[in-house]
Amino acid sequence: MSGPWYWAIGGLRRAVALGAFCALAAFILGPLFTLLLWAVAGSWLFPNLLPEFSLKWWAYVVGNSDVLKAIKMSFLSAPVATLLSAVICIPAAYAFARLDFPGRRALLLSFLSANAFPKIGLYISIATLFYRLNLMDTFAGVVLIQIVNTLLFMIWIPTGTFRGINRNLEEAARDVGAGSLRTFFQITLPIALPGIIVALLFAFLAAFDEAQGTLIVGTPNHMTMPVLMYTLVLSYPQPVGAVFSVLLSLPSLIFLLLAQRYLRAGYLAAGYSL
Amino acid sequence: MTDARKGSASARKEGALGLALVLPPLLVLIFLIVVPAITAIIETLSPPAGTTTGLTFNTYAQVLGARIVRSDIIFSVDIALISVAVVFCLSYPLALYLRFAQGRLPALFAVLFTIPLFVPVVIASFAMITFLVNHGLISTMLYRLGIARFPSLVYNATGIVLTQVWASIPFAVLILGAGLQSIDDALIDGARDVGAGPLRTFVSIILPLNAIPTMITLTLLFISIFGSFTIPYLVGGNAPQMLGVTMTNYLTQYFRRTEAVTMAVIAFIIAAAVGAIYVTSVSRRERNLL
Repeated sequence: MSGPWYWAIGGLRRAVALGAFCALAAFILGPLFTLLLWAVAGSWLFPNLLPEFSLKWWAYVVGNSDVLKAIKMSFLSAPVATLLSAVICIPAAYAFARLDFPGRRALLLSFLSANAFPKIGLYISIATLFYRLNLMDTFAGVVLIQIVNTLLFMIWIPTGTFRGINRNLEEAARDVGAGSLRTFFQITLPIALPGIIVALLFAFLAAFDEAQGTLIVGTPNHMTMPVLMYTLVLSYPQPVGAVFSVLLSLPSLIFLLLAQRYLRAGYLAAGYSL
Repeated sequence: MTDARKGSASARKEGALGLALVLPPLLVLIFLIVVPAITAIIETLSPPAGTTTGLTFNTYAQVLGARIVRSDIIFSVDIALISVAVVFCLSYPLALYLRFAQGRLPALFAVLFTIPLFVPVVIASFAMITFLVNHGLISTMLYRLGIARFPSLVYNATGIVLTQVWASIPFAVLILGAGLQSIDDALIDGARDVGAGPLRTFVSIILPLNAIPTMITLTLLFISIFGSFTIPYLVGGNAPQMLGVTMTNYLTQYFRRTEAVTMAVIAFIIAAAVGAIYVTSVSRRERNLL
């Protein structure tokens, strides 16, 4: 009796898991799949299941001067924001993980405050400050807004990574006569590199995908790709938005593939175990 | 012994170096978060130019006096609460499943649930529109199945919630999963050895041990959905709007900056109440780590 009963339960459990998987897959992949179909559609009339294939909208999008300007702005501002935040944050992350100083805990926690505000309220407050400082509609203003989104990733992921490195390795290097800087660059940094790469990746994506703040601070002359998306979604034919979406997703996709070996669930989870 | 000989001079040097290294990002944080928040509060509390000095709550009374703003606040809280509830009901079982199941299907689940993490939220909103809109893919398939009449799925609260859930699943599963991962297998095996079934193990071991990550997930989700702009702007209807859309419209369309900033401060206050829970939870856990 126990055999068939066990199999019934096991089979049922597997069927439920499989059903849940299909439902989740439809929910997550369905919208993306529809978007991809629209990107290669000339027109798609209801109730046809498939669109009429055409690449004519690609020529329209790539030939648009606003699009080219936004692409340029995105690929200038996001790397600058990422590198600036790496330069100021990585030494700080090392200090949080290794050095003892007054207020360390409170200061580390203060970097969570970026996450404890509703983002849009924060951007509006920043905008009023930027009005006074003449930073509205400037490249510097756009970069600063993007840095807000990168700070948390660039502080917390490297802090966790540095904290996880065995101190004995550093002490061994010092025992054989290496100075602090040499120890840092030859021992600590190489071991911490995967964690730092994950942090850079998340910071870049956060900066690159930032839309709300840039919309407020950067319009009308400093629009990035995601900001242009608002206009394309609201006032252009569906295929235009779809084609531009594919263009906008390419950097994330390429980064994802390049950093595949660093992005195993462990690091991802570590980055999010705030 | 070495520590004692190191003495206070070198400890002071280490402290100074630590502070010096932490200072640059801290200044950015102060410039971009603390200063704007404080100036926003001061601006909303100061009386109009030319009148008496002192503080006034006039702008707050004015903003909260508008029925539209009040209904937008309530709508934002409702949407955030409903979305958090739905995300949690989907994410917790998924995180549990990923923690305890083995084989090929969990590995596929693990790939599937992270996908929205790499899709910019602007694109996610647009993709959701093409999927759910009247005469979109869903409505085409329902039509083919003979269902021609069904409630509208987009440009309303349903659309906002579905898109928020789509975009929030990876974040929720990752934090909940990280919490579940840190629960020692020995504790679970121990519970099983003394005869506890899966349900009992879950209720008396897993749930309490994972309480703090759960709190963190719920509060962060609430704040991010409550303060969202892109999803309600693109996927939501015309009225009621979520507060993020209302604020942005006041600032960029009607050029009524003071009202926009006042709404921002009101949103801070609502989120601060929720955020307090979050920081308390994290700091309790950090105390054990440092």
